[in-house]
Amino acid sequence: MTKGLNRIFMTTLAFVLAGLWGLPFLYSVWTAFHEEKYSANFKWNAPITFENFAQAWNAAPFALYFLNTLILITIVIIANFILCTLVAYAFVRYKFRWAGLAFGLVMVQLLISPEILIVENYLTLSSIGLTDTIIGIALPYLNSAFGIFLLRQTFMTVPKSLDEAAQIEGAGAWRVLWNVYVPLAKPVYLAYGLVSISFHWNNFLWPLIVTNSPEVRPVTVGLSVFATVESGVEWSLVNAATLMTTAPLIIAFLIFQRQFVANFMRAGIK
Amino acid sequence: MMRLKCASAMPLVLGALISGGAASVQAADLEFYFPVGVNAPAVATIEELTNKWAAQNPQHTVKAVYAGNYEETTTKALTAAQAGDPPQVAVLLSIDLFTLVEEDVILPISDIATTAEDQAWMDGFYPAFMSDSRFEGKTYSIPFQRSTPVLYFNKDAFRAAGLDPETPPKTWDEMIEMGKKLVVKDDNGNVTQWGTRIPTLGLGGAWLFGGLVVSKGDVLSTETGTEARFDTPATTAALEFLVQLSDEGVMQPGGISWGDTPKAFLEGQTASMWTSTGNLAFINENAEFDWGVGFLPGGDGPGAPLGGGNFYIFKETTDEEREAALDFIKFMTAPENAARWSIATGYVAPRPDTWETPEMKAYSEKLPQALVALDQLPYAYREFATFQRAKVTQYLVDAIESVVTGGSTAAEALAKAQEGADSVLSDYK
Repeated sequence: MTKGLNRIFMTTLAFVLAGLWGLPFLYSVWTAFHEEKYSANFKWNAPITFENFAQAWNAAPFALYFLNTLILITIVIIANFILCTLVAYAFVRYKFRWAGLAFGLVMVQLLISPEILIVENYLTLSSIGLTDTIIGIALPYLNSAFGIFLLRQTFMTVPKSLDEAAQIEGAGAWRVLWNVYVPLAKPVYLAYGLVSISFHWNNFLWPLIVTNSPEVRPVTVGLSVFATVESGVEWSLVNAATLMTTAPLIIAFLIFQRQFVANFMRAGIK
Repeated sequence: MMRLKCASAMPLVLGALISGGAASVQAADLEFYFPVGVNAPAVATIEELTNKWAAQNPQHTVKAVYAGNYEETTTKALTAAQAGDPPQVAVLLSIDLFTLVEEDVILPISDIATTAEDQAWMDGFYPAFMSDSRFEGKTYSIPFQRSTPVLYFNKDAFRAAGLDPETPPKTWDEMIEMGKKLVVKDDNGNVTQWGTRIPTLGLGGAWLFGGLVVSKGDVLSTETGTEARFDTPATTAALEFLVQLSDEGVMQPGGISWGDTPKAFLEGQTASMWTSTGNLAFINENAEFDWGVGFLPGGDGPGAPLGGGNFYIFKETTDEEREAALDFIKFMTAPENAARWSIATGYVAPRPDTWETPEMKAYSEKLPQALVALDQLPYAYREFATFQRAKVTQYLVDAIESVVTGGSTAAEALAKAQEGADSVLSDYK
């Protein structure tokens, strides 16, 4: 009896929370497909229009921006996976002097907000001539303290006996990493990849500051053209542009949703 | 050959500028940072104008770089300048002057524009707009995208309340008196239409507050950049007026945000509002009622703040680049181009000669509301600006917000703001 009540309560709570969470999204879909005058005026028969999307698409070279964002994210994700894996592996598998201190230093990085480093990073990029390039935007993010931490914690949960068994079979360090550790950490890679992609998809200030040419700028820079505080915000236009720029992420999530959820369950992320 | 063709196609003033410049100027590659504060076609218009300049000056190139909003553009320009790689020319907030001077990254334009002709050109801007471009006797920047707030009112609502739709309130007393008549309530006693709406929150609120103070015959800051006048009879009166508006039931109590105000006006939730001229085009496009524009009602007389962005030339530039940058600024503020910019965006054109162009005349005939801001200019004063502006302004913002949301009295809050501002500014005196 209590169990049944509990279940009803939990389900209701879930729906309420989902509704609250989904409201802003529903609102943005509503305004994006209607004229500006319906943006706070909900009439069920308000005419649907695609005008906002056409207007938003033409306000900035979005096709180019999308391509740049894709290139940027590909570079960052590949570099992150390789570098974080190697660092985390070293921390877990090898006992070396100052290992604790070195790991502590990596952790300290988590406390530093990237905005503080903008000027220093710009100076570095400027001195090696990489401002206004996609690789320049990516450079400060090629490695990640958070990624190292996440993978180290995961690798530590891999039973030592698995590692030893592989060694007895004659596997070298690389082989152990590739055949034992990496497959077991797959859900973590997926989760980290997801977080990382959405972070870099949303990153704005740093790319804005280090780039000058539309040829290398990401979608967020195109999106910011609509945040016109001075002359009143046109929500229908802003939301059309926002939906457009986030669509690839939303679609990707819908497609891979089953896999994401399955992986999270298996990983038992608490 | 090319030059001849250009000159014949151009009006006299421009032709003289170009051939005058081209005689001595060597090739320069300019980078030009600009912010966008109004709706999207701004980027396309800026690019169109810069391309036009480049076409007329084939020896130079110019790259227009969109750099976000004002704050982001300043961050970007300062970051680049600190790395020794500044843009040659940028449009930044006029009130960022003191920050840029303190960082020592800009050059007084009056040091480059030294001829009698240049002087005449600089004298050709509205004095109000030039007032915040000077520091220690030098002119550091040239007005470009300037705005000022005005009173927007719903003529239909005025008619419905039995008021004359052609005479908006001019004083604070009239605002309260007429505002009471404009309030509409439903059967349950809930207000469906307020009398007015003056944004009081955030930087927008502080900007408008500057206008209230000017109308009481005082100013918030002076040309020195080291003085904040937060605790004066004028500021107290201004803040008390804002409280009175909601006490008398004319304005919605509590803080009022800048961003939602135009929408509230369009939807009839308020019969009038105070907001920037930058909204003219937006209101014109979306209003489904008869509307008008008037001066900001004042305490002792009219008064308004000024806002917006000016052209700056950066220090780390060669002589050729400086000369080209100056020529570029002259081009952008030349009558036809300033008119093009003003019509596309709603900014107030900063020179009288722009308003004489046929395009501008046609525009002001179609949208006579645009002229009100111009007539109000003689009563407008520079926006609050000091060294450490962001920090000092925050004291004012906090004071206004704490009073309108009902926490403290005007005198108390302003005294506290004054204390905070003085402690920051004492280092600069």
